[in-house]
Amino acid sequence: MADIEGRSSLSGLTEAEAQEFHSLFVGSFIIFTIIAIVAHFLVWTWRPWIPGPKGYALLDGATSLAHHAFSVLS
Amino acid sequence: MYRIWLLFDPRRALVALSAFLFVLALIIHFILLSTDRFNWLEGHPSKTGQIEMVVPTSFG
Repeated sequence: MADIEGRSSLSGLTEAEAQEFHSLFVGSFIIFTIIAIVAHFLVWTWRPWIPGPKGYALLDGATSLAHHAFSVLS
Repeated sequence: MYRIWLLFDPRRALVALSAFLFVLALIIHFILLSTDRFNWLEGHPSKTGQIEMVVPTSFG
């Protein structure tokens, strides 16, 4: 297939067709990315996947509180 | 940027991209299912880090 200037492209698309497909492609990519971001946000609120230096220590505050209580008692 | 579709056949690119994304998603989901923390079907309570606690045997 040849474009307006008489050249043929490797894929066989014309410039106009390539532009049309590209706008569709970019739109789909943006929708896909938004869905992925929402999914990641939801999973992060459920269980974050980057542990701190002490691992998944969600009870660090409670642990130090218990240590403090024991040191006061003893 | 749209000129990329003059080089690559959109039909093949779409098939390749969707196949790649599908396989990638499948791998990631199975890896997550194999872990303890991120298995959403078994629903284990989330594990915290190792909690070390020294309990004194005698006070004072």
